[in-house]
Amino acid sequence: MSRAKRIMKELQAVKDDPEARIELEFVNESDIHHLKGSFLGPPGTPYEGGQFIVDIEVPMEYPFKPPMMKFDTKVYHPNISSVTGAICLDILKNAWSPVITLKSALISLQALLQSPEPNDPQDAEVAQHYLKDRESFNKTAALWTKLYASPDGAIGKSVDEAELYGIDSEAVKEFESQGFEKDKIVEVLRRFGIKKLDPADNATINRIIEELLK
Amino acid sequence: MASDEEYSEAESDDSLYNYESRNTSVDLICPKNPNLTSDDSEFDIDEVDSSDYDEEDDIDNSLLATPVSPSTKKALSEGSVPNLKYECLTTKEIYEKMLKRINHLQPVFSIPPDDVLVLMQHYDWNEERLLEAWTEKMDELLQQIGLKSAEVNGSSDVRGIKHRNDFMCIICCEEKNTDTFSLECGHEYCLDCYRHYIQDKLHEGNIITCMDCSLVLKNVDIDQIMGHASSTKLMNSSIKSFVQKHHRNYKWCPYADCKHIIHLKDTSSLAEYGRLHYSPFVKCSEGHRFCFSCGFEIHAPADCNITSAWVKKAKKESENLNWVLSHTKECPKCSVSIEKNGGCNHMVCSNCKYQFCWICEGDWAPHGKSFYECTIYKNDDTKSKGAQEDPGKQLKKYTFYYRLFNEHEVSAKLDWKLGQTVGHKVKALQDRMGVSWIEGLFLIESIKTLNEGRTALKWSFAVAFYSDASHNLTKIFLDNQMLLAKAVEDLSELLQIKEPETIMKRKPEFYNKSGYVENRRTALMECGRDLLCKGICKPHDG
Ligand SMILES: [Zn+2]
Ligand SMILES: [Zn+2]
Ligand SMILES: [Zn+2]
Ligand SMILES: [Zn+2]
Ligand SMILES: [Zn+2]
Ligand SMILES: [Zn+2]
Repeated sequence: MSRAKRIMKELQAVKDDPEARIELEFVNESDIHHLKGSFLGPPGTPYEGGQFIVDIEVPMEYPFKPPMMKFDTKVYHPNISSVTGAICLDILKNAWSPVITLKSALISLQALLQSPEPNDPQDAEVAQHYLKDRESFNKTAALWTKLYASPDGAIGKSVDEAELYGIDSEAVKEFESQGFEKDKIVEVLRRFGIKKLDPADNATINRIIEELLK
Repeated sequence: MASDEEYSEAESDDSLYNYESRNTSVDLICPKNPNLTSDDSEFDIDEVDSSDYDEEDDIDNSLLATPVSPSTKKALSEGSVPNLKYECLTTKEIYEKMLKRINHLQPVFSIPPDDVLVLMQHYDWNEERLLEAWTEKMDELLQQIGLKSAEVNGSSDVRGIKHRNDFMCIICCEEKNTDTFSLECGHEYCLDCYRHYIQDKLHEGNIITCMDCSLVLKNVDIDQIMGHASSTKLMNSSIKSFVQKHHRNYKWCPYADCKHIIHLKDTSSLAEYGRLHYSPFVKCSEGHRFCFSCGFEIHAPADCNITSAWVKKAKKESENLNWVLSHTKECPKCSVSIEKNGGCNHMVCSNCKYQFCWICEGDWAPHGKSFYECTIYKNDDTKSKGAQEDPGKQLKKYTFYYRLFNEHEVSAKLDWKLGQTVGHKVKALQDRMGVSWIEGLFLIESIKTLNEGRTALKWSFAVAFYSDASHNLTKIFLDNQMLLAKAVEDLSELLQIKEPETIMKRKPEFYNKSGYVENRRTALMECGRDLLCKGICKPHDG
């Protein structure tokens, strides 16, 4: 069976190239459909220092059909769903070619972390954040890397909801002082894609209050 | 015809009486000349017109070739709609047209026709766009599309099938004695892998390239690799996607297994049809009639808005009541119409490949691989129920009309079966009664009238559901509906008769009852259009 041969060969190729710092292994030795891969966050990006684990399902028609990949590690990135880990990348869909390997696909994911495509977003909220305020976005993405992609990650730590979505604590306080609940405030601000508050922008503030009162 | 004169005044406020007086004119109807039927079927504007395009000389068409008289037209519309000019084609015919164009254009390009074909495919068969790009940047285009290798040393003797011993194919990772294929780029794979690769792509209709670079596989390459004329399949898919992409001008005939496409060159008049609550009905060369705007069967007296509202509602309710009416849905991304395949809710758009859920039209991905449960649909359901004033009552009203609608749909199918046997009956008349074929045509005409009456009746229940029940005109509509229902059942009963002797003896009755159905149908349609034009019948979410 050619698919098994090809997958075994791909695994060997990954082992033969430790420099790439890419890992690829079966979840369960008896099932060649299901693998986990991982790679390191590219240096000089908010993902630096993290190790990102990807769930890989190899279809029957592989390599003529692309593998199904999604992030197990939570990632804050415009092309990756912050909830499900689903990835929006052309080579995993229509631009797939049988010459692409699992390893080269993982490298493409690494490259995707390096250069997001906010105009073809998987996660609209994150993409908005990326386009509107890069500095704040980078901070949030780095926080997620630290919490979810590092060996000493989030386990046992309590995380501030507002901080997790890059929402300025001043903005939350502003509405808390008016007697609204924090959870609700964060939820509304996320929904509106607002990370920071301009005190002069009364229209927006009123819109938020209106929503909070609902 | 006297009744038409009377009808032309139907626009004044006492139009209500005109419908009434129409009811009483029943007795005046005498055995009809079958040639008059098209005069009465006001919605057949297109058919009259399409006879130019229709080369089939079946009885149907010759009967319909009678032009609509000006007085009828004026009488039946407030403002008239322009005629629709269309042609009926198959993908093969469209492809042949394209090939003709390519041969015609070939001197302009001075490259082999096979290459022009690839260029045309790349430009979605739009020759204007292609010619523009061609004059601008010929060489660049050939490279960009993959007809020419970027490297100068790409030699043409590499291209083709070769036999190799101990060839290591990097796709299947097998080392074997095998035939291989490569283009000028030298990216060489075993023939098995190449076949698998191409096989999957034939139905997509896109240009197929080398697995590792952008060089194009031409039709000759594809046929060489696959060993038979597989490129026709690819071309067929490409034309299909061309039709999908140009769905404003091209529509597939919605009838099951019908491969015809209606091409409407000028769509500018469609808006006028909508404004006047007419529907642009067309007919394929198999004789299937459907609405060009919404793709449904002939749905008068309902207009397209009422039809789509009704169908949408039926879909929404179908979960509760186990009704399945429609089998197609528009892709939420690119609006191409996709057919549902069996019971599976996982839809994949044939055009843009978007995967979505049939029930909620949301992205398929979050629906998970395990047990399928669509929460979004349920939410929707509770929301809309909350918003209604009296959901229970609305649902009851809907259920009531839907049952009637459905009943006539079932009956229509039975009528259709009846129609299948009518040929035998005419034959029996010929054999046993010495009746000529022409003389026996009244039977075929009657069954056609029955079908049309039944369809109009069916859709009139959608109009009834969406009409303001308290309005006087609605009441008149319902009366008209009842009269048509009775007329249709009477005719249907008459058509059950099997003995040739009885049929011939009752021949005048066939004329009478058909004529009556025809008149009732016309009255109901016009009354329905009046409801629509006056805003008494309008789609709502209820
Ligand atoms: Zn191979
Ligand atoms: Zn190549
Ligand atoms: Zn047809
Ligand atoms: Zn329509
Ligand atoms: Zn689509
Ligand atoms: Zn769903």
